[in-house]
Amino acid sequence: MARAFASSSVSLSGTGMPPAWAGKWFWVAVALLALAGALIDDSYARHILILCFLWAIVAASWDLVIGYAGIMNYGQLVFFAFGAYVSGFLAAKLGVTPLVAMAIAAAATGLIGLLVGLPCLRLRGEYVALFTFAVHLAMPPLIQQGRDLGLGGNTGLLGIPPVNLFGYVIGPLDKLGWFYLTLAVAAVSIYLIYFVLLRSRLGHAFVALRDSEGFARTLGVDDFKYKLLAFAISAVFAGLAGALYAHYTTVVTPKILGNEFFLMAMVMLAIGGMGRFPGVLIGAFLVIIGNELLRGFDTYRLIVLGAAVVVTVLLLPNGLVSLAERMGWGKRAGTQVGST
Amino acid sequence: MHQLIEVTFGGITQGAVYCVIAVGLSLVYGTARVLNFAHGSLYTTGGYLCWLLTAGYFGLPLWAGILVLIPILFLIGVAIERVIVRPLRAGPNWKTTIMMATLGLAFLLDNLFQTLFGAVPLMIPPFSGGTVEILGTTIATYRVWMLAIAVGIVVGLEVFLSATLFGQAVRAVAQDMQGATQVGIDVNRIFAFTFGLSVILTGLAGVLLAPIYLVSPLGGWAPFLKAFVIVVFGGLGSTRGAMIAAFILALIEAFVVFYLGPSWTLPVWLLTLLVVLMIRPMGLLGKWEA
Repeated sequence: MARAFASSSVSLSGTGMPPAWAGKWFWVAVALLALAGALIDDSYARHILILCFLWAIVAASWDLVIGYAGIMNYGQLVFFAFGAYVSGFLAAKLGVTPLVAMAIAAAATGLIGLLVGLPCLRLRGEYVALFTFAVHLAMPPLIQQGRDLGLGGNTGLLGIPPVNLFGYVIGPLDKLGWFYLTLAVAAVSIYLIYFVLLRSRLGHAFVALRDSEGFARTLGVDDFKYKLLAFAISAVFAGLAGALYAHYTTVVTPKILGNEFFLMAMVMLAIGGMGRFPGVLIGAFLVIIGNELLRGFDTYRLIVLGAAVVVTVLLLPNGLVSLAERMGWGKRAGTQVGST
Repeated sequence: MHQLIEVTFGGITQGAVYCVIAVGLSLVYGTARVLNFAHGSLYTTGGYLCWLLTAGYFGLPLWAGILVLIPILFLIGVAIERVIVRPLRAGPNWKTTIMMATLGLAFLLDNLFQTLFGAVPLMIPPFSGGTVEILGTTIATYRVWMLAIAVGIVVGLEVFLSATLFGQAVRAVAQDMQGATQVGIDVNRIFAFTFGLSVILTGLAGVLLAPIYLVSPLGGWAPFLKAFVIVVFGGLGSTRGAMIAAFILALIEAFVVFYLGPSWTLPVWLLTLLVVLMIRPMGLLGKWEA
């Protein structure tokens, strides 16, 4: 059965599934970025790219659950924040080696993903969206409550040690080191999400449940199991990104659950196009770079971001990638536009 | 004992206003099947517009300000339906795209208010300042008014929905969109109307609660989520269910605030939601598939 699913005779067009040939181009793009990191000798530009890589992981993990599994989870940043806090706490307060702390954080976030996913099994579309968003909004007060544990309340968790890669310490100022570390983690994570997980039986089950839940269940797809897996797996990657972020910035504050980050992540998905590789990755780069360019506008920046969500959803309901498809590019990637 | 009565009464008045917000949310969800994520920000919009009309800029008396405010709120609701919801409804994945677009709108409004009015909360003074004695406990007159007005709004809405022809058309669309179209009801007009009505409801609730909670850019999220929990708890599309749920939940909240402190409100609401969903996912008076 599993082999039958994976065989090339199964048509993937219209599912938004990345085709096998895209994997090659993915690694070409990663190699070009790696080269660019060495050529660009500007720590600010490197910093922006590091943020792009970290957010690309978050966007991809979110895309997995919203775009491919079709679960309207609005709580993805909870996982990001949870990973950041767990790793930061373990490393800063308990003296755990950062790499180990990050691994524990990713695994623990996976469990939180299961926990958040559990009530969602009984809910439908909009209800899932609101429940998960409620979890998101309930997080900052809970973090405040954890001040006694050493979570730092509003000031945040300070003094998170830098990553120590088997004796080689990547300090916060070592932008090139961070550039390669985040690029490597992002490349592997994104490859795992789009080219290993989604192309496996798991991904087919996600897409089947998304496109026709009743029919998929009739075929024997265990919806509870796969929905929980979607939550857990996407949480692991978001938690990993959060942990990396914590060690990179050395500080975690409840601000990562604020308006700005949520909006940014949403624009990534809206602009890029959910469930359409490489839509959200392009979205992540555009948003992070665009956000930096808009810094001059200060307070208007967030208004622009909010408006960007509304306008792109109205004009391009399936994101930039759908524009490319409409113009005839990437026909092989799936031509079904505008009919789900 | 006095404290207990005070907390209980506070919970009841709060519940009445939550009920107004929840009914607005449920109205749009029931008829147009759209979850409007900007509902909370429109609550805030009501507060800010009222402030502009009265204390802030135009200096109108409160009753005149509210008379001007109601048509404005209605037009905002209609505009949202026409500009954002209706075009998206024709497209694929409309439930998802509408949720994203309205969430984008919510952030747009929040940040607009933040830029225009700053992060410092604004104050709309209560129209009645005294206190009354009920069961030997001193209670602010404003709270009594709040309860009366909120209950009046909900009862008025219920009467409108059941007694007038237009209200019956709204209910018809909520029950069976296809059937409503076939008997000649202009479904789009009903959608636009319910959006307008729902914005009036949430906006007025924003005005009613403004003297107590003040008006701040992000102040609408908590009422919105609470309204959602109420709608789920009460049963989708059931006004009576929403009323009962609003009072139960607001009482729980009042005691949580009293005994544990205000930062626990949201987690406790969330917990209540979880328990409700585990035990009775269709809500108190609801049925599956509204």
